[in-house]
Amino acid sequence: MRTPMGIADRVVDGMARGLDLCLLRGAWLLVPSAQRAEWWCEWYGELWEARRAYAGDAFSWKVERAIAGFCVGAFQDAAYLRRLARLPDGKRRARLPLKFGSAWQCILVLALLLGGSFTLARLLPGVRAERSLLRHGVRSGLVLIEDANNEDSPRTISSGQYRAWKDRKQEFFDGFAFYRVTRERVNWRLGGMGAGESAGWGVGRASSNFFVLLGLPIRFRGTGGGADAEMPSLILSESLWKQEFGADPHVAGSVVRVGTRWATITGVTPAGPRGLPGKVDAWLLEPDAQMVPSGAGYVVAHLSASGISRMDAAQIPITSYSPHRSPDDLLGVSLGNEIPGQWDVFCFGVLLAFLALPAITSLSFGELSVSVHRISWVRRVWRWGFLGAKVALLLPIVYFVSLDAAYGFTGFNASQALYVQMATTFFLCLFGMQWVLSDQRQRCPVCLRRVVHPARVGQFSSLFLAWSGTELMCMNGHALLHVPSLPTSWFGSQRWMFMDSSWDFLFAGAVRE
Amino acid sequence: MAFERNPETKLSHTAAMILQAVDAGFVYGFSIMEMTGLPSGTVYPAMRRLERDELIRSSWEKQSIADAEQRPLRKYYKLTAAGRATLENSRKRYPLLERLISSEEARSV
Repeated sequence: MRTPMGIADRVVDGMARGLDLCLLRGAWLLVPSAQRAEWWCEWYGELWEARRAYAGDAFSWKVERAIAGFCVGAFQDAAYLRRLARLPDGKRRARLPLKFGSAWQCILVLALLLGGSFTLARLLPGVRAERSLLRHGVRSGLVLIEDANNEDSPRTISSGQYRAWKDRKQEFFDGFAFYRVTRERVNWRLGGMGAGESAGWGVGRASSNFFVLLGLPIRFRGTGGGADAEMPSLILSESLWKQEFGADPHVAGSVVRVGTRWATITGVTPAGPRGLPGKVDAWLLEPDAQMVPSGAGYVVAHLSASGISRMDAAQIPITSYSPHRSPDDLLGVSLGNEIPGQWDVFCFGVLLAFLALPAITSLSFGELSVSVHRISWVRRVWRWGFLGAKVALLLPIVYFVSLDAAYGFTGFNASQALYVQMATTFFLCLFGMQWVLSDQRQRCPVCLRRVVHPARVGQFSSLFLAWSGTELMCMNGHALLHVPSLPTSWFGSQRWMFMDSSWDFLFAGAVRE
Repeated sequence: MAFERNPETKLSHTAAMILQAVDAGFVYGFSIMEMTGLPSGTVYPAMRRLERDELIRSSWEKQSIADAEQRPLRKYYKLTAAGRATLENSRKRYPLLERLISSEEARSV
């Protein structure tokens, strides 16, 4: 006796019906517009028939799955009508070069995915900036020194402290650089012609040794020509150079007014180092004598050999003694080098995914040896080559998609982005490899076409009397795949049954090899 | 422009099953699907192909019939002369076809 549906079941049932109609509507969009009205009318009627045939009074997930499967078939029908409409009348029976489910079709889809993810990674500004950063990595052994007692975030240090350290002999550091970030009004007029332009930039006022200490490259390095040698240098960030100067390579040597001072543009830096606080559009390199004596900013130090040996963590506490011998508690934070790079994270994620793979899927490809049929070694090589090609295409897809996810859309900081990349790499690689293996298991060992038309064979209740499972066939007529419904000691994994030429008559038009 | 199909042309087993189902009286898409056990993604495109090749012909039932039975309209398929000849030819190639799908089953549905 069927029980009437409760309220919850009615809600879920309504949602399932809505989903079925959404699926049909999705397929409907693929149908050529001239045929849509009739196509919809037919499929709507067929869905009604399917629901009447499958569904009872009580809600059942099994039934809903069968009906949803029925609706998914509408996509194949719609795609077929679309393909038919595209071909000229005389060629409507011509076959597409890529058969449905063929190995080439699979490779093509993966290659398209790879192309899409690669293009996206090239276009997303966050990913491009990150790649540029990696290309121009900073020197090793750099630390950002923070005042441990300062409650600001990030914690600043006074320029007086910087001067005091810089002038004293240090055991653990062999160089210091100082910078502070201010918002300045900048005026410029390129080539001395036309109306001048003005904008507000984030200017990093840095000590003159800043770029040397950090080992950052400078493009289009210019001296300023006839400009005053005492004039501070201005180095533009790449994004600002492109945005405000249209990526003009002759920008070096131009004189601009930064706040109340004149400065010469001496080059463009591809990217700032990872982990430095403050958003900087341009770096103004000032001689120490011209620096504001009382400003607060950030100090970057380079570790000496003995400093590197002491730096055994990403952060170390530092105690500094001022000239009056009062101790200052500081914190040295490693810049960039302790954070693993994208490639390291990707490799680690892939390794973890490969280790976890046996937990979610079988690594077996089924039994081939039960048949007298022998596959030629060329076919065997082709089969393994196809598997290798799928893996080879999957890994770069995972890499680029993980970069897109980590750096493309959000304002993650460096370590958050690495976690996002790590998680994306792991899950994409894990489930991607699961798909690769399951796809390989369902491909005919001879032609590598996916087997189709699953048919239930036997009854589960008669498991000990006869074989029970699913049978699928190769549409080229090479083999049948038997997948047991429950692995047993005599039928543990799927088996291939190869068909000889006596079966040919069943597969008219198929190409046997 | 339609394609002239030679009755001697070999049909695939799937296409032959669908023709046999239509001939046996399973005359709309879902009933053919149920009878043959083939998925919807196979049956409907195959019927489009058969219709394109003029082996079957479709027509909508009268609205009054659907209204009387309180259901949506059905699109019915029936064999053409060329389809019947091709089916006869296919039965020789697939001798079990008639046993798989017989017209008695259609009558009992």
